[in-house]
Amino acid sequence: MGLPYFGYAESTGMLRDIYDRMRERPMPPVYRPAHGGAPGIIQAHSLDPALIPKVFGTSTTLNGAGPLAWPERELINATTSRLNQCLY
Amino acid sequence: MIADPHTVHADPRMRALGEIAVRVTLEPWALSRLHHQAWLAEGLTDEDILHAIMLSAYFGHLNRIADAVAVPLDYVVQLTVPATDPRVPALAPSPVAVTGRPAIDPARRPATVAALAAWRTYMFDRDAPLTRRQRTVLARWVSHYLGDGGISSPDDLTANPIDTALRQLAEVVTLAPWQLADATFTTLRSHGLDDAALFDACAVASSAGTFSRITVALAAMGRDRA
Repeated sequence: MGLPYFGYAESTGMLRDIYDRMRERPMPPVYRPAHGGAPGIIQAHSLDPALIPKVFGTSTTLNGAGPLAWPERELINATTSRLNQCLY
Repeated sequence: MIADPHTVHADPRMRALGEIAVRVTLEPWALSRLHHQAWLAEGLTDEDILHAIMLSAYFGHLNRIADAVAVPLDYVVQLTVPATDPRVPALAPSPVAVTGRPAIDPARRPATVAALAAWRTYMFDRDAPLTRRQRTVLARWVSHYLGDGGISSPDDLTANPIDTALRQLAEVVTLAPWQLADATFTTLRSHGLDDAALFDACAVASSAGTFSRITVALAAMGRDRA
């Protein structure tokens, strides 16, 4: 339930363009979903395609540069998610 | 750790990073100079602490948007994911308004500051689907709940039924995002907001929360005590 979101197959126009651009981003294989489309957390923003580059552009600055190492970042992300009662 | 985020790590650095995520998520307004000094004593640098604060605040946005659309987990995890509990009580709102200079200058991460500024401009500098005023209503309530004393009080905005419903949404998104459900949107739908406008409202509130958490945490760490 909740608000709707749109996967790659349902995307058109700006959303399709952004999904294609997001696919080109460097990403550890573990984060690539088996369904081959955009990761669910990107799809979750699909009602506002123009927001996607703003949010994930911020992610690039936080996850693409230190000083915290990947395991340390994952510790922070997992702790934050758990406290927010969220699987993501 | 995922099962119990309050787990005490043996490694002081990991312990300190975990505590930063806990504080930023639950009560950024309760930080003080003592926390800052303790984390430095455990081996973190100011750059580490700033990175951790910004990352936790950012990830809180992803959690809230995931909750708003109830997107399923779609990547492989190595451990059994613990069940989340929607009955968990809401987080406490801040009892204080935190003001003051940041204990660590966020400009030490110029790329992140620039990205956050572009994100903020996008969220607040437009009139569709929500109006600028409605964005302001949401952001002021979020700031109020998080103790961001640098944002004007929401009380000077004239209340109408949509304002009241926006306030209620801001409260759920900020303090109990795991309770977001179809029923959360019923009143705003009755006032004519469609899916795009409802998502916009969630995104404004969630984004405002990210910005305020960073501001509040950094300012609170400059105080002698909470």
